Amino acid sequence: MHSPVNWALLGLVIERPSYAYELARRFERRYHGALSLSSVSHVYTAITTLRSRGLIEEVAGTRTGRQPKPRYRATESGLREYREWLLGQLDEDRRRQRLFVLQLAALTRNPQAALGIVADYERTCLEQAAKTPITREPGAAINGNSELVERLISEEHRLAVGAKLAWVQYAQRELKARLPETRQ
Amino acid sequence: MSLLTLESVGKRYMDGPRERVVLRDASIELDPGELAVVWGLRRSGRTTLLRIAAGIEAPDSGTVRFEGRDLAEHGDEVLGAGIGYCQKAFRWAEGKSVLDHVVVGLLARGVAPAAARASAHEALERVGALRCANSALLELDAGEAVRVALARTLALRPRLLVIDEPVKGVELLERDEILGLVRELADEGLAVLASAGESTGLSGADRALALGDGELRGGARSELAPVLPLRRPAAHRVSA
Repeated sequence: MHSPVNWALLGLVIERPSYAYELARRFERRYHGALSLSSVSHVYTAITTLRSRGLIEEVAGTRTGRQPKPRYRATESGLREYREWLLGQLDEDRRRQRLFVLQLAALTRNPQAALGIVADYERTCLEQAAKTPITREPGAAINGNSELVERLISEEHRLAVGAKLAWVQYAQRELKARLPETRQ
Repeated sequence: MSLLTLESVGKRYMDGPRERVVLRDASIELDPGELAVVWGLRRSGRTTLLRIAAGIEAPDSGTVRFEGRDLAEHGDEVLGAGIGYCQKAFRWAEGKSVLDHVVVGLLARGVAPAAARASAHEALERVGALRCANSALLELDAGEAVRVALARTLALRPRLLVIDEPVKGVELLERDEILGLVRELADEGLAVLASAGESTGLSGADRALALGDGELRGGARSELAPVLPLRRPAAHRVSA
């Protein structure tokens, strides 16, 4: 299953059993700006996929009344695969970063040009780091799961930017060593 | 005219038999209400930059001006009165209580004892450290120590606060409170120049800069104030 939307919906079901329309609303609130649904029917399609793979199941007794709203919950298999998929994202991060460096490598025959790109990359990283919000204001009460999620996202982002900034310093040294005027 | 201006500042040290360039042509302007944070790896020269900006150390080349006055000529006058360099190390004052530590800084500036105590209380309250007023400096954890150091500096009512790695050693869950406090001080009109050894310390900055190989980079033009364009060495320019 490659669709990040499907995995995100599975995560929401793991968090709390829900019916389809509720899932669509929770999805919009949680993933606004990060992932998007093509339409609410996307959720129904995803539910079919997740059920067929045994990752979620219908909660017994919820398909009742004039307007049945069957709720879905995660199976043990769903929880296990979701965890595996999450860890797999580390490989995805690594693949993206490797791709960036491979594409930058096209410029390494011209270290001066590569240094310019790296400098722009550094400037972008610095701007991103500065924009990352301070998530725990002095004296502020700490409430709710959504605040925790925001803080975890913020911290991951800040640390990731730090790794990129350190990489920039390394790349700059490597590239400067290749500049013709620095060769002895 | 900016509150603080570093213009083409250079600094070199002898590192054993080798000369090490710590700062090369570093320029920055800082205005009231602005928080600029300089990030760099260990031994990148962050502390040297801050000490030069505060007038504690002299650059080998270039100029540092505070309110238009060259620190090479007026550094002694403005350090402590206008520029507050936040000292987080208390080793020299370990036996003292927190309140005494803050009061002493004021007494040294000629403030009367009663007024000094009142100002110290106010400063400790401002930084959220009033509860530690009667504690010994030795008893403070890293977060409290930063707050107390800030209080001692702020009690002198500086217009520029210079602080080296405010969140170094601070417990992870308290770190953002310290960053938030520094951000608030800037929002109240103080110009703040800080450093960070970890990227987390850049959060909330108006301007984030990187220091490496003696070069101070980054810092797009601030929305709050005009910033001198940082010079990028020719080697960094993308050839047309």
